[in-house]
Amino acid sequence: MRRVYLDNSATTPVDPRVVEAMMPYLFERFGNPSSVHFYGQEARSAVDRARREVAALVGARAGEVVFLSGGTEANNLAIRGVCEQQRERGRHIITTAIEHSSVRAICDALERRGWEVTRLPVYEDGIVRLEDVRAALRDDTVLVSVMLANNEIGTIQPVADIGALVRERRAAGQKHLWLHTDAVQAIGRMRTDVEELGCDLMSMSAHKLYAPKGAGALYVRRGTRLAPQNVGGHQERERRGGTEAVPLLVAFGEAARLARLELDERIEHLRHLRDRFEAGVADSVSDIVFNGDRVRRLPNISNISFRYIEGEGLLINLDMQGVAVSTGSACSSGSLEPSPVIRALGRDDELARGSIRFSLGRDTTDEEVAYVLEALPRAVENLRRLSPLYQKAQAERACAPV
Amino acid sequence: MPYSELFKDHLANPRNAGELADADAVAEQSNPVCGDRLKLSLRIRGGRVEAARFLAYGCPPTLACGSALAEMLGGLTVEEARQITRAEIVGALGGLPSRKQHAAALAVETLREALKNQRH
Repeated sequence: MRRVYLDNSATTPVDPRVVEAMMPYLFERFGNPSSVHFYGQEARSAVDRARREVAALVGARAGEVVFLSGGTEANNLAIRGVCEQQRERGRHIITTAIEHSSVRAICDALERRGWEVTRLPVYEDGIVRLEDVRAALRDDTVLVSVMLANNEIGTIQPVADIGALVRERRAAGQKHLWLHTDAVQAIGRMRTDVEELGCDLMSMSAHKLYAPKGAGALYVRRGTRLAPQNVGGHQERERRGGTEAVPLLVAFGEAARLARLELDERIEHLRHLRDRFEAGVADSVSDIVFNGDRVRRLPNISNISFRYIEGEGLLINLDMQGVAVSTGSACSSGSLEPSPVIRALGRDDELARGSIRFSLGRDTTDEEVAYVLEALPRAVENLRRLSPLYQKAQAERACAPV
Repeated sequence: MPYSELFKDHLANPRNAGELADADAVAEQSNPVCGDRLKLSLRIRGGRVEAARFLAYGCPPTLACGSALAEMLGGLTVEEARQITRAEIVGALGGLPSRKQHAAALAVETLREALKNQRH
């Protein structure tokens, strides 16, 4: 069967050039970077090179990049690290209603331990307002954590504006206020520069960038103090103990280098295909709603709610036609509540349950998009034929006066 | 537990989807927790289910249970139909993950309601 992968926001295939770069470190260059001998130093210099590449992708200095296992660990180190370090100075965190589940869970856990958490709303466009951040800031706020681009709808948050606000507050005397941004979905899909953003901490993941799973990084601006969450080794300048995953980090570095060099063409390619896809869906499927701001968003994500049907049924129907996507339906996540992100846009439960995320990648082709545009209306039609909600709406339409 | 091939086949090729214009027994039930819905219409002649049709909205298990139930019902006596259990519906789908068993419960509940509503 023909297969089309439109779930690149979940994970990306590994770029063959990245595999090639990491291979020697699985075999002959197997040293431990902490060792003083030749093998160790060879591994050490490879990790340093990777660190420089990841730093270069986001406009950071190499010493500001802490390698770790992925986005979730980066979010843990950033948020818990700051909160534990600053516990005597304040216990208030500002975050948003649309963060990745890891950020949400970390904030929930801190709340249970006595921190206060303000979760800012988004509006129908899926974007947080600077004024809301300003209004939520208190003297005891120690951390603002706002994602750079949302993982379900791709909307880009005003992190640079928030960064300017945080610096302003710091200049006015609130020295212990820090800004974290989860940029896991953003890097490699939009220009991302820590100086432009003014963030102090930024989470990144390798496997969204055509490198293997198991590696990530936290950007830590010089002077930002964190309580380490993983102790027991001197690695990463005492910020994250544990022997470095050398092959994975080499892969991450190469993927970051390629992303930096190819960023403009990747964005152009993704945007072209995404726009073509959305125009095709709008032409061929009725009763749909596009979720999130149509302009301020990543070029690779299209999130659409299909009325009268439920997302997981659509996902399975598409999968049986070889098309891989993801859904915000509760059914898929194993919870009773449908996607909090779609709900945060003010959509009703039916639209939240019927939301599907199509996420394109650098390997997606025009031809694949054309295939999905054939499969999707079929899958939607299959489910709507069964849906009592759709049949009822059709009957009402037939009766409505013209 | 992933969904079985049988289950997916019910989703791809639902049996007896739709409604009956000349139904003798109809019921539409919903799960108040998750909002899933199942509508069943039956044509009953001479104490037998002559035809069964279903419509469903919600999680795939709800759709598949509707399809499996509508397929099972054809030709059964009303008494036999009344005896259908959740386990039989789950069995007809090649099993269901434990947290999806409620879909079979909705199917049984809708069937019993329809039989209660039967026109005499």
